[in-house]
Amino acid sequence: MLRTNRFLLTLFVIFLLTFGAFYLHITNGSFDMSIWDVIKTLLRIDPNPKHDLVIFEFRLPRIVIAMLVGIGLGIAGTVMQGVTRNGLADPGILGINAGAGASIVLFLLLFQMKAKHITDGSWTSTMMMPLFGFVGGALAAALILIFSRKNGRMDMQRLILTGISINSGFGALSMYISLKMNPQDFEMAAVWMVGSIYNANWIFVLSMLPWIVILSVIIYRKSHLLDYFQLEEGTVTSLGISVEKEKIILILCSVGLISACVSVSGSIGFIGLMAPHIARSLVGLRHRLIMPVSAGVGMFLLIISDYISKTVFEPSELPVGIVVSIIGIPYFLYLLVKSKA
Amino acid sequence: MSTKKTNWIPIMILAISPFFILLAIVISVLYGTKDISALTAWQAITEFDSNNVDHNIIVGSRIPRVVAALLVGAFLAVAGAIMQGITRNYLASPSIMGVNDGSAFVITLAIVFFPGLSNYQMIILSMIGSALGAGLVFGFGSVIRNGLSPVRLAIIGTVIGTFLSSIASAIALFNQVSQTVSIWYNAKIHAVDVDMLRIAIPFGIIGLLLALFTSKSVTVASLGEDIAVGLGQRTKWVKALSMLAVVFLTGTSVALVGKIAFVGLVIPHIVRFIVGVDYRYVIPCSAVVGSIFLAFCDIISRFINYPFETPIGIVTAVIGVPFFLYLIRTKGGEKSA
Repeated sequence: MLRTNRFLLTLFVIFLLTFGAFYLHITNGSFDMSIWDVIKTLLRIDPNPKHDLVIFEFRLPRIVIAMLVGIGLGIAGTVMQGVTRNGLADPGILGINAGAGASIVLFLLLFQMKAKHITDGSWTSTMMMPLFGFVGGALAAALILIFSRKNGRMDMQRLILTGISINSGFGALSMYISLKMNPQDFEMAAVWMVGSIYNANWIFVLSMLPWIVILSVIIYRKSHLLDYFQLEEGTVTSLGISVEKEKIILILCSVGLISACVSVSGSIGFIGLMAPHIARSLVGLRHRLIMPVSAGVGMFLLIISDYISKTVFEPSELPVGIVVSIIGIPYFLYLLVKSKA
Repeated sequence: MSTKKTNWIPIMILAISPFFILLAIVISVLYGTKDISALTAWQAITEFDSNNVDHNIIVGSRIPRVVAALLVGAFLAVAGAIMQGITRNYLASPSIMGVNDGSAFVITLAIVFFPGLSNYQMIILSMIGSALGAGLVFGFGSVIRNGLSPVRLAIIGTVIGTFLSSIASAIALFNQVSQTVSIWYNAKIHAVDVDMLRIAIPFGIIGLLLALFTSKSVTVASLGEDIAVGLGQRTKWVKALSMLAVVFLTGTSVALVGKIAFVGLVIPHIVRFIVGVDYRYVIPCSAVVGSIFLAFCDIISRFINYPFETPIGIVTAVIGVPFFLYLIRTKGGEKSA
């Protein structure tokens, strides 16, 4: 009972924090607005076309995407850490982002899609992007699992290192593919690869929404399995769980989440690393509780990072991926210092 | 048996290497985006005509380029060999241990805050940056429990490297010089500055000489700290001198062409596999094999996306990543983790 209270309280605090971040993000920018303007615009009380434009075309889609990507990465990171039993696992570090990214860049090249100006004609291709990313992400995940497995068990350190090298491999591949694009598309792809959400629009929201919703539900329903995976493998099998099959399903689901995120926002690392850790320290070890908290923390972290990225160097924008790594890497090092060898 | 192996193989490598170096130079000078006949190339060297575009391409671009590739290949491979020997870490190399990133980071700061530095100052700053990168990574390594183990140190190095480059690109974006800066981060071997090349050569040579000078001690150090001390080695001095060599070599390389990954990792492994573990042979052989390797990577980089150039880092990554995976797979067990 106590634990449930704590869980609800945590969720409530995260909700408040997210709301605060939302407030900062929607009222500040190169065009400042008061909260009343925002509320009036949202509730359609004597609408002002200028405010409509800023809110509905620029800020709101951007915040919604930041929320969705944060949720996706938070959940995916929890699954990765749970399945690999490795506290340092993160989709970005493991190279799954890079794998999804490379195949999306390939997709952009093949279909010559101008990612900057999504017109109605390319609507279907936007919807296809996560699917393409999924292929690359799954490939990266498969490579990592194959290479880091020795004598039937996964080695923690080797997992990270394999991820790092797969990361640079796919990074080089994306670079090579993107060099074949025309200059404008290349510029676009370069910014996108570092991770940025400043060219958000509603089509992107629509393209990732089904992935996030469906896969989050599936993962949540399976989240109790992650608790069992923390035990010895033999014990889990004796409980009548087909470990390998469930692990693969969970990994594929999180690869799907990651691909949807990457196809919209590029490769954003370290959210998937930080969110689960913070969640665990807040609500304990049960994944059914960790999962929603981790999603919430990811959401909050990404909105606030995006807010920093758009305001700190105003009027120029910093890719949010850079902000997240500057925050995330010290945290990663802190975890390394703290972790037992 | 092993003594016999280490005697003639390295000598043979050193003996046939001039042939390959010459081959690399010839191919590199003759082939590129613009078709230039061998005769014109020869004339460019013997009777240079400053009004002739082809002559200018040969003398101003292709020759400096191949010289830079050969030198940087040698510098990075030797730096990697020393690092692997001294730290007894099979994953040590300038790019993985954050040394390259440190250089590029300091160069970024210099470009942003003190524009218009001379090439000399650039090289010195780049060397300071190398030392900074190495210092940070090894510093963290010694703070973290078991942090000096190969795999952990590699993780720390990569992460700190990413951190430095993130900050650098943020600063660069803010000051709107990101294009200049990205040139330093992405190897710019296709646009070597001839003046810089002239200045860089002596610095690199100093580094190489230092490396050769310490090579015997590196062999002893590579047997382990206890044995080295037991054999009467002053390990502190050896470490300091060899790190100085690494700083000279990497700093010069980055100042010259920017960051190039994997050369310093892959080459020393291949060389050790062939010539054994005596660093008196490993270091010179790494130098020649590294220079030939990078010169050919440079040639490949002109042709995989002809007529456009491909960054050389992509070529070295394509070769280096599978090799890296292989190393982790075969050596990265729990014992070394």
